[in-house]
Amino acid sequence: MADSDLSRFRNVNFAGTVSVGANSGTITVDGVELPCGIYNATIANCVIGDNVRIANIGSTISNYHIGSDVLIEDTASLAADTDSSYGNGVELDVVNEAGGRGTILFNDLSSQTAYLQALLRHDEQLTKNLSSLIKAKIAKTKTAHGIIESHVRITHSGSIHNVNVMQFASIHGALFLENGTVLSCKEHPTEIGEGVHAKSFVLAEGARVDGGAMLDKVYVGQGTKIGKQYSAENSLFFANCEGFHGEAVSLFAGPYTVTHHKSTLLIAGLFSFYNAGSGSNQSNHMYKLGPVHQGIFERGCKTGSFSYVLLESRIGAFSVVIGKHFTNMNTPNLPFSYIHEEGGESKIIPGMNLFSVGTVRDGEKWPKRDNRKAANKRDLIIFDVFSPYTVEKMRRGRNELLALSESVPKEKSFVNYGGLQLNRLLLRKGAKYYTMAIHRYLNDKVCSRLSDALGHSKSWKDAAAQLRSKKILRQPKNWTDLSGLLSANERVASLLDCIRKGDIVSYDQITQELERIHSSYRDDEWEYVCEAFAEEYKAEPSAMTKTQALSAIEEWKNAAVSLHSMILEDSKREFGDFAKIGFGLDQLQEDAQRDFDAVRGTIETNSVVQKLTSEGKAIEQRFSEFKKLVEGSVE
Amino acid sequence: MTRDEVSQRVKKVTARELNLNAANIKDSDQFSVELGADSLKSIELVAAFEEEFNVSVNEEEALQVQSIGAAIDFFAKLLNK
Repeated sequence: MADSDLSRFRNVNFAGTVSVGANSGTITVDGVELPCGIYNATIANCVIGDNVRIANIGSTISNYHIGSDVLIEDTASLAADTDSSYGNGVELDVVNEAGGRGTILFNDLSSQTAYLQALLRHDEQLTKNLSSLIKAKIAKTKTAHGIIESHVRITHSGSIHNVNVMQFASIHGALFLENGTVLSCKEHPTEIGEGVHAKSFVLAEGARVDGGAMLDKVYVGQGTKIGKQYSAENSLFFANCEGFHGEAVSLFAGPYTVTHHKSTLLIAGLFSFYNAGSGSNQSNHMYKLGPVHQGIFERGCKTGSFSYVLLESRIGAFSVVIGKHFTNMNTPNLPFSYIHEEGGESKIIPGMNLFSVGTVRDGEKWPKRDNRKAANKRDLIIFDVFSPYTVEKMRRGRNELLALSESVPKEKSFVNYGGLQLNRLLLRKGAKYYTMAIHRYLNDKVCSRLSDALGHSKSWKDAAAQLRSKKILRQPKNWTDLSGLLSANERVASLLDCIRKGDIVSYDQITQELERIHSSYRDDEWEYVCEAFAEEYKAEPSAMTKTQALSAIEEWKNAAVSLHSMILEDSKREFGDFAKIGFGLDQLQEDAQRDFDAVRGTIETNSVVQKLTSEGKAIEQRFSEFKKLVEGSVE
Repeated sequence: MTRDEVSQRVKKVTARELNLNAANIKDSDQFSVELGADSLKSIELVAAFEEEFNVSVNEEEALQVQSIGAAIDFFAKLLNK
């Protein structure tokens, strides 16, 4: 206490060994600047840094190392045991409520390493080695005391037991916190607000948990918000998720899983880029062997208000589920579909979501809504809606639909596909939609690369050479989605092999390898494009003649214009007669229109429609530019 | 194919797909407002017309057709090209 002003210790009891730094400064408490020091508190076995204010502690602050510029005021207790691991090492039963997919909670968890832990349980050696590497990582950070880092604020809170709080975090009005870690940084402080009750948790940088949320065995990722009485247990929420009002049990919420409404239960499922309508519900229980059923909602799915999905089910990427479904659905090869209920039957319209304006808006909003400000982005995310992952699924789906259309007799109105009724008439229609999207994607990628190459050299031969695939991947068409990270399967297989064989000796090495997979995405994507393009058009992009290139450009334009026009038409439906129901209440007909215009705007003024219209013009312009470049090249 | 023949078949398909009585369908009926075809049903209707007339239609043009009369004109024009 050499540098301490002893007059700034009032009504303080010390126990065990306590050291306190300088305390001459001031600190702002609820808007008022107050002196540092210790007031009305019992302090046991603590190391306290410079310019800390501790005041009005109900029982004790014990066994903590407290950094400088910290405020702890009006808090019931802050105590740490000598053998606590602060939430690290707790096993969460995700995806399957009955267990079997235990995922270790710890500070360095990411959506990718959680996926590897939870979803690959058939590989015993991998699971064993991965678990050992994680436990070794946890052991390295273990301390015999709790940590409150510099610039932390803890005010008006209840009991805090075995909780580490990292720099710049703020805890105010929390009810009860036990066995957890609050990761935080200057760039993105983490916040725990009023009424929070949390046990066995890790909160990543920039997370915000408030509004009486109740957490039990939960990870909250970077930039994620949980509040408004949300309740979650055995659940993981990775980057940029939002959970309000509802409930999560055994949930693996990959990046951008969003649930805002009451009565929404997300249970025993894997989700990402997902949006839950109010009252969305899944069943993991058939009253036989207990809650053993699991659900896979591939990236980008939405469930409508009061939708119900019977698990086990696997819903294809970017699909919309409307209504209640009492059948096990399995549609990974029909992404971008509408799954709806009609007369108690579950039906699917394949590819219909390809021209929903909502899909376009989602694809654009996710990168813009990346809240993460910490320098170290823990979850690796590839945002592309159209990627080798989704496009190859569309290619498989298209082929399945065409094969079915050949084999199903005309007398049959519906066929069963993955547990759903599919109108026979939509077999060819769905295949057509998928073909349009596949060709738009492939030709867009080829034309863009060709355009870049011709921008550097007018020689057709040189430009064509730039389109060659590096052919590093042996199976460029097989892709997977590691909860946000799209990757060629074989890259993941290679990483798993190294973990299995013991060639990877630390958890940090795993994260480095995952980062390499993330940075190889564009090159790997190009390999996929070359392979799929060759299959679709019987020629590799690098072997195209100028005539073939012009035809690719034409095909890209036609598919892009067609899909774009359908999206524009979809957006205009928002201004149709149905949209105007309830406007201009008890007024004249023309008032209804004027009320609608005042509230919703007009087709001409709507920003989304305007944007889509200008994008339509951009397609035409891009087409002209591509064409000019190719025509101007020298053979 | 005459316009009358096209009209008869358009109404027959519409009635079948939307569970309506063909005799009650008028040329002025709007698919969405009077006949209750939502966006999901519209897709099925287009597919049903394609099969009925054995043609493949341009999607964005087909989705702009709002009424029975417009559908009759659309297919009459397409079939008599």
